[in-house]
Amino acid sequence: MVKIAKEKLPVLLQAWAAGAMVFVPQEREGTRVFLPWNGEGKLALGEENTLEPPKDLFFPRTETMYRYKVQGQDAEITEVPSFEDKMILVGVRSCDARSFALMDDVFLTKGYVDEFYRRRRENTRVVALACTEAAPTCFCTAFGIDPGRAEGVDVQMRPLDDGYLLEAVTEAGQELLNQAGSLLEEAGKASPPGAALPSLQVDVGGVTEKLQQMFEHPYWTEVSRKCLGCGACTYLCPTCHCFDIQSENLGNTGYKFRCWDSCMFSEYTRMAGGHNPRPSKKERLRNRFLHKLQYFPERYGKFACVGCGRCLDRCPVNVDITRVIREVKEVTL
Amino acid sequence: MAVEARVNPLVPMEGRIVKIIEETPDVKTFHVTTEKGKPFTPMPGQLAMLSLFEVGEAMFSITSQGPEHLEIAIKRVGMLTEALHEAEPGQTVGIRGPYGNGFPLDMFYGKDILFIAGGIGLAPVRSLINYCIEHREKFGHLWIIYGARSPADLCFKQDLFENWPRVENCRVDVTVDKGDEGWKGHEGFVPAFVEKLNPSPEGKVAVTCGPPIMIKFVLQSLEKLGFRDDQIVTTLEMRMKCGIGKCGRCNLGSRYVCLDGPVFTLAQLKEMPNEY
Ligand SMILES: Cc1cc2nc3c(=O)[nH]c(=O)nc-3n(C[C@H](O)[C@H](O)[C@H](O)COP(=O)(O)OP(=O)(O)OC[C@H]3O[C@@H](n4cnc5c(N)ncnc54)[C@H](O)[C@@H]3O)c2cc1C
Ligand code: SF4
Ligand code: SF4
Ligand code: FES
Repeated sequence: MVKIAKEKLPVLLQAWAAGAMVFVPQEREGTRVFLPWNGEGKLALGEENTLEPPKDLFFPRTETMYRYKVQGQDAEITEVPSFEDKMILVGVRSCDARSFALMDDVFLTKGYVDEFYRRRRENTRVVALACTEAAPTCFCTAFGIDPGRAEGVDVQMRPLDDGYLLEAVTEAGQELLNQAGSLLEEAGKASPPGAALPSLQVDVGGVTEKLQQMFEHPYWTEVSRKCLGCGACTYLCPTCHCFDIQSENLGNTGYKFRCWDSCMFSEYTRMAGGHNPRPSKKERLRNRFLHKLQYFPERYGKFACVGCGRCLDRCPVNVDITRVIREVKEVTL
Repeated sequence: MAVEARVNPLVPMEGRIVKIIEETPDVKTFHVTTEKGKPFTPMPGQLAMLSLFEVGEAMFSITSQGPEHLEIAIKRVGMLTEALHEAEPGQTVGIRGPYGNGFPLDMFYGKDILFIAGGIGLAPVRSLINYCIEHREKFGHLWIIYGARSPADLCFKQDLFENWPRVENCRVDVTVDKGDEGWKGHEGFVPAFVEKLNPSPEGKVAVTCGPPIMIKFVLQSLEKLGFRDDQIVTTLEMRMKCGIGKCGRCNLGSRYVCLDGPVFTLAQLKEMPNEY
């Protein structure tokens, strides 16, 4: 096992940044954000997870899909150059690492590969960071996630008092460590602090089966009463993947782009002539929770929640998925 | 080593409208081709995403195809469909597909088929009717029951009144909600017409497509006539963007209508959330 001293980590990031774009949580305007490392930022690895998940690195908020040129009846499209940059994501927590696997299920399986996503995802290495402290809203263990050890990553980092233990999990991860050269030292017997144990205990056992019988239940009216339909929960959720496709015209040229969308907006499902299969916030909030806890498990065999706690932390009216899970299990059918 | 060429399913092909047929005051059929010929070869009931780049993109059933082109019948209802109705032959469009599951042909082989459609709902059903006619020996009796608001609103008149009635072992019955001076055919709504014609469910499969309200009452009529849920097939419409099960928009429970639909049996529909 090898380790790196805390003050040397920026040097390592700098070395990696020579061959790739390195994204790492940094402090900006009082919040923690995944930003490209330029050697000067203030690293924010010690505290809680980032406010926003790193999903936009694979699935940007807006992404140009192709350009077009229109001339009378004629039109021509050109594809945008494919994304070739290499990326290294450093400091990804176990919950967000699981979310990458869920996004892979959506964008890379079931008959079609989303090329925009694939290009970014394939060119990316992930360096995970073990959590030693849990926020009051964390509940990753409910989904079998180990806050001390992330799944599907290339390198696992664990904080020590004066540095980080580094363990290569994949060959690509070993190559990253090889690049570190003399920055690393033998860790000897250094033992990392134990992984965080979330205090928020949630038992998701049986929740899918219960929800399968609850589509018409009056509970959804009750739980959605205070929802504002602001969509903050879906924007902050590392597993929400809905997008819209729009075009932007500039004279006789323009481009088609996709951008994040939210099932919490009424426009989302409204059809020509005004018919809307999910006309009120009751249907929309129900869809959000059923998607996470019933539909996704039915389709992909996994929950589409990783217990990161972002939605319950930030919902302006305290709609709380952990409470929903608990209440769903308790309501009488 | 040859590098595997990857096709980006979200980027359309450049296609061209080569022919436009005015079906009704608000429905036109567009023949679309590409420089390399037919954009792709869909199965009956499959879909295409059609776009005018500077206006928008939407999903449509492919109502028929020839060796060199696809046919798409479009009702004028909003921005894109309005703009398409203003287009002239020669117009470049974006086209991608084929999408959706299409009709479950296995269910139809060797059976008598009852087609029940209203308005533009004949568009997807027509792709199946034409397929059955092309492969006539694989299917039993074909019975087409179709209705529209008025005689002027009947789509695909040449098929209804000339082509299909000439097909061997095929029957066509047409109704309009309200006739005009020249109309000598049946007057009345489709569901009541179906009950009056009283088709027996014996050895049959029924396919129905049309406005949601028509579908709702046709399903009740079929039930009355003794059709079972697994003898009835219908198609769904949800708002769509990607067409490939990624954008999340068209979900009905854990299924995506663009990918797992748009064709479902009534038995399948009854197991899904009632949210369409
Ligand atoms: C599976 C399927 C098959 C269809 N087949 C046909 C067909 O054969 N012929 C035909 O005329 N129409 C068909 N439609 C409906 C057609 O997609 C809509 O009429 C069209 O999207 C309206 O676009 P607009 O821009 O003119 O309307 P606007 O109201 O201006 O549309 C705005 C946006 O809403 C979305 N939208 C609106 N209505 C619908 C709708 N009903 N379904 C899906 N998205 C919608 C579109 O994405 C569009 O970009 C089908 C729809 C689906 C889902
Ligand atoms: S639903 Fe909430 S807790 Fe679960 S992954 Fe999404 S944001 Fe995190
Ligand atoms: S963040 Fe809260 S109020 Fe906003 S849409 Fe989500 S549940 Fe509703
Ligand atoms: S249209 Fe995007 S998931 Fe069906």
